[in-house]
Amino acid sequence: MRRFIWLAPMTLLAFLLVANGLGAENQQSEALFFRANEAYKEGRFQEAVDGYSQLIQSGHETGHLFYNLGNAYFRLNQIGWAILNYERARLLMPRDADLNFNLRYARDQTQDAVPESQGVMNAAFFWLDTFNLHELFWGFAVFNVVFWAILMTRLLIRPAWIFYPILVVLILWFIAGFSLGLKWYQVHSDERGVIVQEEISVLAGPDINDTVLFKLHAGTEVCHERSEDGWSLVSLPDKKRGWVKQEAVERINGTEKGANFSGVI
Amino acid sequence: MIHYNIFSPYSSSREGLFLRRAHASLSCLSLRVAALLNLAKIAIGCSAKAAALVLLFLVLLFPCVACGDVSVSIKLDRKEATLVDSVQLVVSVSGSRSSDLQPIVRGLEGFNVTQGGTASRLEIINGKVNAGVDYTYFIQPKQPGRFQIGPAEVTVEGKTFSSNTATITIIKQPQASGVDRGPLFLSAGLSPTRAYVEEQPTYTARLYRQVKVSDISLDLPETEHLVFKQLGKPLEYQSVLDGKTYQVLEVRYALVPSQEGLYTIGPTRMTMTVYQPRRRTSPGLFDDPFFSDPFFSFSTGRPMTLASEPQALTVLPLPETGRPADFSGLVGRFDVESKLEPTTIKAGESATLTVLLSGRGNVNRIPNWQGPELSHTKVYADEPVLKVETDAEGLAGTKTMKWALVPEKQGYYEIPPLSVSFFDTTTHQYRVIKTQPLSLSVLRGEPGMLQASSQRADEHPSEGPGKKAVKELGRDILPVHTSAKDLAAGYRIRPGHVLSWLVLMVPPFLYGATFWGLRFRKKSDQSIAVIKARKAAKKLIQKCRKGKISSSELALSLRDYLNERFDLALGSLTPDEGAAILRSKGVSLKTAQRFQSVLHRLEDAVYTGKGHERCDSLEEVPKLIKQIQKEMR
Repeated sequence: MRRFIWLAPMTLLAFLLVANGLGAENQQSEALFFRANEAYKEGRFQEAVDGYSQLIQSGHETGHLFYNLGNAYFRLNQIGWAILNYERARLLMPRDADLNFNLRYARDQTQDAVPESQGVMNAAFFWLDTFNLHELFWGFAVFNVVFWAILMTRLLIRPAWIFYPILVVLILWFIAGFSLGLKWYQVHSDERGVIVQEEISVLAGPDINDTVLFKLHAGTEVCHERSEDGWSLVSLPDKKRGWVKQEAVERINGTEKGANFSGVI
Repeated sequence: MIHYNIFSPYSSSREGLFLRRAHASLSCLSLRVAALLNLAKIAIGCSAKAAALVLLFLVLLFPCVACGDVSVSIKLDRKEATLVDSVQLVVSVSGSRSSDLQPIVRGLEGFNVTQGGTASRLEIINGKVNAGVDYTYFIQPKQPGRFQIGPAEVTVEGKTFSSNTATITIIKQPQASGVDRGPLFLSAGLSPTRAYVEEQPTYTARLYRQVKVSDISLDLPETEHLVFKQLGKPLEYQSVLDGKTYQVLEVRYALVPSQEGLYTIGPTRMTMTVYQPRRRTSPGLFDDPFFSDPFFSFSTGRPMTLASEPQALTVLPLPETGRPADFSGLVGRFDVESKLEPTTIKAGESATLTVLLSGRGNVNRIPNWQGPELSHTKVYADEPVLKVETDAEGLAGTKTMKWALVPEKQGYYEIPPLSVSFFDTTTHQYRVIKTQPLSLSVLRGEPGMLQASSQRADEHPSEGPGKKAVKELGRDILPVHTSAKDLAAGYRIRPGHVLSWLVLMVPPFLYGATFWGLRFRKKSDQSIAVIKARKAAKKLIQKCRKGKISSSELALSLRDYLNERFDLALGSLTPDEGAAILRSKGVSLKTAQRFQSVLHRLEDAVYTGKGHERCDSLEEVPKLIKQIQKEMR
């Protein structure tokens, strides 16, 4: 027994070292965050963009950082990147008042009038836009616990009053579960993209010599259908379709600068 | 065509006119009396007799209560007349139902005056009592010219009250046209015939008649870019034309041209029912003018439409020369007044700046001024109030604009003049009118007063008349989020992660475990019972096979078997009870009866003193028990 007594201080030391390492990393991130904020405040917007992007790449994929990044792009007059990052922030914090105001304002600055499309499911499950996937998951988890708890109560004590509570909780459980599933599907099949270049020509095919069908401008939201050889097929809600250079459009739920949001939210 | 209904039947003679007025006064009085009676009845909720008493009391009381606020006014029935016309002048006294003497009216030297009667008024409007008396005169001019009539002076209880004045223009009688236009015709006139855009020339339609008419309606011509606005109520007077006396109905309109050009205003049409009196062979009782009214006359009416002559109007554009850069679009005659109350305040208190812009013309275009810009002063604008009136001369109006000025520091503040430009239709030139410069002395304020007054204005912006829609002055994005908390995403269980499945699966797992646990427990209980039953049967059979058991012992063993087999706690057991228990547990009737029979024999042995002897049924009992066990499976 005595020969194992050194294990206790060694374990404690290892724990302290790990904790210290994590603390130091957090301090570094905070310092970078404050530097980026300071740069934004002083009008060095490119520096702010770099700072916020670095933080996002390092794993701090929070809605606030995407929002700040969007603001910095907006100040750089890069309306496409601004809207892209606002939309990414909106996936994480859909009810943030500042974000929704800025996104609306940024959309007002775009040149293309594209009709908004809202599906039947979105109209029926109107609250899906108000909550992120994480919140819907926890909402369902709570209803799940309540549902099974009430079933267990019925199993154990069989009270006469339990039928209607079971019915109500069952309906809520079903709605919450369906909402979660739908949101999950939406997030993982989100093909929306944002035009990030000032002006692009949408072509009839994935070739520079193809016919120019129409032009799109920075900030316009499109549906990204597929990519081929450095070209992306995009479509608009009014059924206009065409090919653009892959670098001209960024997917909202994409992997820009290493970020993939389907797993975060 | 624009269609206007003017008014109901009336008579044509002058006597009839007076009589009708008398009727009107009487009917008015009777209506007022009826209204007062109703009011009194409602007020005291009792019979008509009691109401009449109350009314009498009120009527007696009114002359006393109504003397407090006396006012006098004079009114002419028209602004323009000829030398042969008779113009009605009414001196109205409000606040008293009698005066000490007849009114004295100044400026009537150039007129022949005939007294037209006195009518007293008593009105209750919204609970307010208003008593008055009207003195009517008919004045006939002696010479042409412009005359100012008034003021009228009335003495009530020893005090003298003066009225306003009225102006009338008397022109010579127009020369005889030489054309006999008959007893009924319609005439139209336009003055002036040349006007500027948005100036308001007057269009006058006059119906001359010597016969009775009723159901008059008017159709005005429609002309693009010209709008008719009626000026006051239709006038009715007597006039002489080409040596003939006519009763005249006059309707005046302001014409508002919105675009320059030459306009031809089409004929105005007037539709009416004309009554031709039947000739009576000899004068009689019904020759009284009272019976000239269509109601009493036995004349027959026929519909008739009259048309006036068309009129030409030249509308000129507003001149370019001399047009101020900030020309407001106002056309007419305007004046401006301003005042500041109080002129000395403490810092943090408020003073009210009031600007009145009044005039004649297109008053609807009077602009809303921005308040004065003063340093260290908060300015709260009140909602501007525009009052528009029409009279015989056209549209007139006043716009009142108010600002509350709250200086933050003591000192002497100069309020710069506010100006507005308009096109003067009398001089045909642009003019700029300005308010007088005003000054405000601000003394040192009491501590906290400014803050309190500012807070009041900020906290209750919806209170008071100055509420306005929030105006967006600029647009920009909202700032970045700078809290360190914004950096942390928080602890997240990602949907799809193993932990998330665990969170979701734990509750159903717990439920399942509980369910199966309960089920297992139930099955275990049943198994124990079966084992116990087997043991009981085995025990009894073994006892029987040993062959040394007495009848009483066997009876007890059978009871114990039933107790153990079915988990009972019986102290004694009759044959009938034993059979019933077996039947209730699903054993056949035959087997139950066999069990009953065995028990009967054992009981008989016990009760006949052979209970200690060896039992005869020892061979039968094991078979019976095996049969019961078999049927119980």
